[in-house]
Amino acid sequence: MTAARLEDEEAISPASLAGVPRAPGRVSWRREAAAMAVGFALLALAPFVFADSYSRHVLIMVFIYAIVASNWDLSLGYGGVFNFGHIALFGIGVYAYSLLTKLAAMDPWIAMAASGVIAVVAAVVVTIPILRLKGIYIVLVTFGFAQLVMQVILSQSDYTGGTQGLVRIPGLYVFDHNMVRDAKFAYFYIAFGLLVLSTIFLRLFVRSRTGISVVALRDNEEYAVSRGISLVRQRLITLAASAFFTGVAGAFYAAYQRNASVEVFGMSLATIVLSMVLLGGTGTIYGAIVASFVLTIFSEAMADFGAWRPIITALLILAVMLAYPGGIVGMLRSGWTGFAGLSKRAK
Amino acid sequence: MNTAADILFGGLFQGSLYAMMAVGLALVWTTIGVFNFSHGVLMMLGAYVAWQLGAWGLPPFAAFPLAVVLTAGAGWLLQATVVRPLIGRANLVLVVVITTLAAGSLIENGALVVWGPRAKQVPPLLDGNVMIGGIGVSLHQIAIIVVTPVILCALWLFLNRTRLGLALRAVAQNEDASRLVGLNVTVLYALAFGIAAALAALAGIFLGGYRFMTPVMGADPLLKALIVVVFGGISSISGPIFAAYVIGFFEAVCSYYFGLYWTPALLFAALILTLMVRPEGLFSTGRARGLA
Repeated sequence: MTAARLEDEEAISPASLAGVPRAPGRVSWRREAAAMAVGFALLALAPFVFADSYSRHVLIMVFIYAIVASNWDLSLGYGGVFNFGHIALFGIGVYAYSLLTKLAAMDPWIAMAASGVIAVVAAVVVTIPILRLKGIYIVLVTFGFAQLVMQVILSQSDYTGGTQGLVRIPGLYVFDHNMVRDAKFAYFYIAFGLLVLSTIFLRLFVRSRTGISVVALRDNEEYAVSRGISLVRQRLITLAASAFFTGVAGAFYAAYQRNASVEVFGMSLATIVLSMVLLGGTGTIYGAIVASFVLTIFSEAMADFGAWRPIITALLILAVMLAYPGGIVGMLRSGWTGFAGLSKRAK
Repeated sequence: MNTAADILFGGLFQGSLYAMMAVGLALVWTTIGVFNFSHGVLMMLGAYVAWQLGAWGLPPFAAFPLAVVLTAGAGWLLQATVVRPLIGRANLVLVVVITTLAAGSLIENGALVVWGPRAKQVPPLLDGNVMIGGIGVSLHQIAIIVVTPVILCALWLFLNRTRLGLALRAVAQNEDASRLVGLNVTVLYALAFGIAAALAALAGIFLGGYRFMTPVMGADPLLKALIVVVFGGISSISGPIFAAYVIGFFEAVCSYYFGLYWTPALLFAALILTLMVRPEGLFSTGRARGLA
């Protein structure tokens, strides 16, 4: 609804908005919804093209990464909050689901939703100390938060399995459907459904008035505050909003892999997902999703290179970051501008 | 007596290592305004280069300084390739986090390919053990405890008493003005990174003579150095040095009374509390660099 109202405002005063730089809510929401529907419809056909369980597994991992990375983009790209504890929210989802289903024998689907809520609570807890902080200090505190959660999980090994991790975590179920013998057909669509819900949620959020006020705070904090936007409230809302689907993705990951270890809190996972966010281009949501596809499939394609794989991946990240500050989306955009300019000149 | 000696010694030893690491991070932060997340990897590189030189037959007194110089060169190269081209970008801090992380991953995996995963050890600075205050300690550790303050004092003198050091601090305080008075900012950036890398290499050699080294040995010291600079405030060099020893003692006391498992959790709880009360660090003078 809010998006529709914005649309009207744009229609009333196009001249006053013409000079405004690209910001959320600039592309007509109808066009965006149509493009999104086409994109996701094509993606929904993937299991019929890839019938083997390996390709489907790669796509499921892409979807999980895409959810985590695009939600990270909300706090990092739109909110401008350098939240390095985002991966910890994912890990919290993993462990919340595992413990709820294993120890409390909760229904897997309810546990998955509960994991999202627990991740939101954790996000609120980590946001409180960073409300007064800026820039690099936020990086350090949120980084510390992630390590703290990991240490607590390691130390409570009676429940969490410590360094051994947890195994035989209950998986998801769909009526009486056999989840194991369908070449990951059902898991593909569950992961896909989560990505669709998460993406719609994120785009609605960033196009809403709240989303725009968050961007205003990022771009000019003093001015935004003077116009009556509450930094504390918006920062809490942003972090909490970015946590829910991240926690759910963690729960899904645990249900899908059926084991959990503290590696989900490690630097290597954080580096990969962060590079997806930055490689895609921050403040777009879609960029992070595209980069998840590119990086995951690229990394899988190089499985034969062994120890050289992380080296090549690192080189790729460096090359894109040095050449294209706007990430993949910036690369596509500048390519498009160049193409448009050429075709104009041709006329 | 034993307890006191244990805590005192443990605190001094850990504090020395943390100080060596944290000062490098703080130096790069104050001069260039970026955080070098490959600092831990540079430490690992220093230790491995020292080991390699030793394996080629160089005696430690020649291998160690050479390794420090070579790692400083690596730091300079790192700065020239993944940091300097990005200066001037809007989200510099964030982009440099990812480029230094990626470069770190590159070097770490490169070390894995070159040297393999098997744990190695560099020779200690001094051989042998002594009994002090009822506990046995190695001379290597004592050497570290004695050498570190000397090096840090030398660094402090360099930054405060020489023209070059003052130029570095000038760039840290006001880059535009430094350019106006004719300082070569590019060279000074390279110098800051080189010194930081040299300090990291020294820390690596110290640690490699005490524990087995692996390609991932830099991750934990980097994390601790990050905590140290948060505690101490990153706007100065002396803040992190004090904070390093405070944290060294904090860890020694905690692990003595609460056990190793709870020490990191307590440390982070203390960190978050510190930041809520004094966001600019415990020993900050209040003229922080931008805070952006």
